[in-house]
Amino acid sequence: MAYGDNNKHFEHLKLPMTWAVMGIVGVVCVGAALLFLGDHREEVEPASFANRAGFDGVASLPDKALSLPVHAVGDGTNWLDDYLFAVRENRVLKRKVAELSQYRDLYTEEKDINARYEKLLNLRTEPAVEAVTARSVAVSRGPFANNRLINAGSSKKITFGNPVITEHGLVGRVIGVSPDVSRVLMVTDVTSNVPVMILRSDARAMMRGDGGGYPKLDFVRGKESVKVGDQILSSGDGGIFPRGLPVGEAVKGVDGVWRVRLYSNRSAIDFVKVLLFKDFSQLPNADTLLRTPAVSDVLPPPALPPVQAAQSSASSSSASSGAASSATGSSAGAASASPVKPPVVKPKPKPVMPRPAATSASSAAPAVEPDLKPFVPPAAPTGQN
Amino acid sequence: MKMPGMLGMRKRGIAGMAINRGVRSGMASKIIGPWDWIIAPALISLALTIVLATAFQPFGFYLPEPVSPFILAFAWPLIRPSYIAPFVLGALGMFLDFFWGAPLGFWTLGLMLVYASLITARTFIIGQEWIVVFGIFLLAELAFFGLCILLTTIDTGFVPRIWGVVEQAFATMLLFPVVLYLLEKYVHTDVRFQ
Repeated sequence: MAYGDNNKHFEHLKLPMTWAVMGIVGVVCVGAALLFLGDHREEVEPASFANRAGFDGVASLPDKALSLPVHAVGDGTNWLDDYLFAVRENRVLKRKVAELSQYRDLYTEEKDINARYEKLLNLRTEPAVEAVTARSVAVSRGPFANNRLINAGSSKKITFGNPVITEHGLVGRVIGVSPDVSRVLMVTDVTSNVPVMILRSDARAMMRGDGGGYPKLDFVRGKESVKVGDQILSSGDGGIFPRGLPVGEAVKGVDGVWRVRLYSNRSAIDFVKVLLFKDFSQLPNADTLLRTPAVSDVLPPPALPPVQAAQSSASSSSASSGAASSATGSSAGAASASPVKPPVVKPKPKPVMPRPAATSASSAAPAVEPDLKPFVPPAAPTGQN
Repeated sequence: MKMPGMLGMRKRGIAGMAINRGVRSGMASKIIGPWDWIIAPALISLALTIVLATAFQPFGFYLPEPVSPFILAFAWPLIRPSYIAPFVLGALGMFLDFFWGAPLGFWTLGLMLVYASLITARTFIIGQEWIVVFGIFLLAELAFFGLCILLTTIDTGFVPRIWGVVEQAFATMLLFPVVLYLLEKYVHTDVRFQ
């Protein structure tokens, strides 16, 4: 076997290897392009994320392990903070309790009144939605995807589309479910579209994420429909989110576009609450609605206005003339056969509006109520035999 | 190609230890396998991605989210052509697609663009000063994130927030010293590819 300079086993590999590697790169690119074209993420449907449930279940394990010391340190610092600042916090809390006590009484009173109104008006109220508490274990926050993994899944009845909130406001919705882990699509993701309403003006808009912390407000109509600081709530349109979830405040970006300062960004998203909300199918069924008393059973019958004698006579005469004219019209074809002709009544034409006053003296005179009668069309000339 | 003050681990020694200049050990260290420069860095990149995805906000700030496989897509073709590297890079891209919730093939296409571009321009880049390599690194980042913006626009119909893209590109740029470290360690190491 030759050694030294004659041993050139790899000399011939340089050019062919580069081309072969380029071929491999091309094959991988073709496969990736086919996958990309076949993945319809923008539709945000269960089938689009169904193939990722197993991966999420495995990928969340290291982040669960990593989040344990993070949560332990966080809980420890919170405990230390509570211990050191307990006295000051106690004073603040006492003052807040004194302030909020009056609001609590007011709330109880208003809630009772509201419940009575709902019962009287037979309103179709939304039922209470169950919720599951979970903890965030991993987050993807880049400009191309905003997702979050939480440590609760289908074993806790979480399904695709469930809204996710924090104590501050809306976070997103569940798009992928495995037994113990769920993937949450944040409202800041580029594929997220949330129908919202402006609380002050009740105007509707569409909140669209762009990968940043301030989603855009699209389809805002009217000049005064949005102002800086207006509270944005979920509108419930489309049935994905329940109505009334707090979302954020309206702000105007430097580009002149209305955006939303999210309430959920007020603090770190750690604990979240998953609402087990299933669009309109969770509304009460017909049997539940029928159990509530009808409004005619609860309220007294409405008072009828007093009927004057003159008006009643006029209405009766007009009714008779109307009946006569209708009888004339119906019997026009058989006029020659009928021996007795019904009397034809020709109503006198009258102005619809009262004439304006000619002089100032006449305007000073007491106003006379115009004799208003229901309009009756003139009878069609019948054939004179 | 060295940055100021950077000598590399082999020349400087660890903690002032004497450099082993034995003939047999020197030759043995110049034969490296795929584990050394492909598999191990890929696993480190994967671990870095998972660690930085932890739901942890120190002082209210999010952890940075660099695209660490981009570093490998830049360094591997400069080290040498390899049959294994494109497959591993494709697997890393798929991992990012699944882990970050992007459409399948999204990150793989971007990484492959960088790898294919650099493997064709390899001979022009090897041996240049570090500032030149850094300039090409920025150009590669521009092409990479430009393709990501284009793919996102095709996929969703909306342009993502450009400032967020700049932030992620900046976080990725901070990993550039890793490129220099890999090049310094592996470019001229294996005698079979001299």
